Amino acid sequence: MRHLFLVTLLFVFSAFASAQCINFAKNVGKEQLGDYIHDGNYNGAVLEEGEKAELYKTFFSGESYRVAISKVKQLPDIHFRILDKAGNVLFDNVDYDYRLVWDFKVESTQMLIVELTVLDREGEYGDILSGCVAVMFGLEPDKKKKR
Amino acid sequence: MRSVMTKTTVYLLTFALVGVLFSSCNSSQKKQKSEEQDIVESVSVDGKLVDDFKKSKLIFYSLPSPLETAMLIKRAGATYNEDLLNPLSNIDNYSTNRQMALNLGIYSADLSYTSLFDQTQSSIKYMANAKRLADALGIMDAIDEETLRKLEENIDNRDVMLDIISETFMSSNAYLTENDRPAIAVMVLVGGWVEGLYLATRLTNGSVDNNKRLIDRIVYQKLSLYTVINLLDEYKSNEDISYILSRITELNEIFEEVEINNTSKIEAETNAETRVTTIKAESEAVISPVVFDKLMKKVAEIRTEFVS
Repeated sequence: MRHLFLVTLLFVFSAFASAQCINFAKNVGKEQLGDYIHDGNYNGAVLEEGEKAELYKTFFSGESYRVAISKVKQLPDIHFRILDKAGNVLFDNVDYDYRLVWDFKVESTQMLIVELTVLDREGEYGDILSGCVAVMFGLEPDKKKKR
Repeated sequence: MRSVMTKTTVYLLTFALVGVLFSSCNSSQKKQKSEEQDIVESVSVDGKLVDDFKKSKLIFYSLPSPLETAMLIKRAGATYNEDLLNPLSNIDNYSTNRQMALNLGIYSADLSYTSLFDQTQSSIKYMANAKRLADALGIMDAIDEETLRKLEENIDNRDVMLDIISETFMSSNAYLTENDRPAIAVMVLVGGWVEGLYLATRLTNGSVDNNKRLIDRIVYQKLSLYTVINLLDEYKSNEDISYILSRITELNEIFEEVEINNTSKIEAETNAETRVTTIKAESEAVISPVVFDKLMKKVAEIRTEFVS
């Protein structure tokens, strides 16, 4: 019974927060793309500490993509990796101070996996934090493209 | 991190929840101001429950958006051909959710294509059609009169136009996803993807030799097709989605005859200063003229059905 209540509670809180992630994506996430053109896709969700999400995307050869991950300030850092289909790690933001905005160029078209893990806060806490996380993809505009 | 929930905590949380719900109904104006504070929640929970809850990993599939596809087409050196677009007058034929959703995606792809080729008057008309379908689907505020006005005011500024288009597409998609209508959202995405594939295949004029770069873009849609099928499969209990999945499966059977192989190991080289990672791999994609012809015909057949 208690578990049922807790699941319901978590669900309701998540649904409420989720309804606001679009505003977060628009107002906070999109800015991180700088002068890159947002592709128009919406990838936003409420994530909790310790929770993991994976996003499958085709990166086309010759294009330059900016991957911008944004999170509400109160959430801990996000561990962000890019993997190929075989699970080989191609980028790991642990090596770059947990930076959440990075550019990728691919020499041949590949389906890649963008993996995010919200880290747990250090220490003992009696609660879990959750909040909006958005992943935005930007395309390099024409004027900057190097031919 | 872990704690056992007491009765007091339950009562407090219930009050907090009611409070949050009430405030969400009454404070839409202050949303913008305290965006971040509003969307962070902290909940006391049982340790075992947290472990169970975390076991489910969220998986997202990101299709090339209509805007990305239109960019890929243009950058492959393709030209503009207005005759390929879904006629604006067809909008009167769309009355079911499936027709409206698919064609919202299709008109969005046409809108992206016209904008990238600076066909501003057509862009405004296609945006107006997208608005009509979004309104009919009950997608509130994704495309409003202000959006159309902004588009008209910026016809000389392609970057701003593209920004408006990407934002309307994101808003429609988010509205549907966050209002428990993901099946409609998926249909919009798939409609846009099919239209992009249709435009690309037709712009080759039926030859695998005309524009190698464009052919390359088409062939590698095999990878995106994996995403399309996974997206549709997730909601196949919906009758419309199930039907679309059956049609897309026919397309997949042809794509199965396309060979894509990585001919070298995938390696990455990162420049920490410029914050750029280059992913290096050699890949080979092969499509025979016969398979390409079959593919073109199947795409045209599916797209004709969608726009009818």
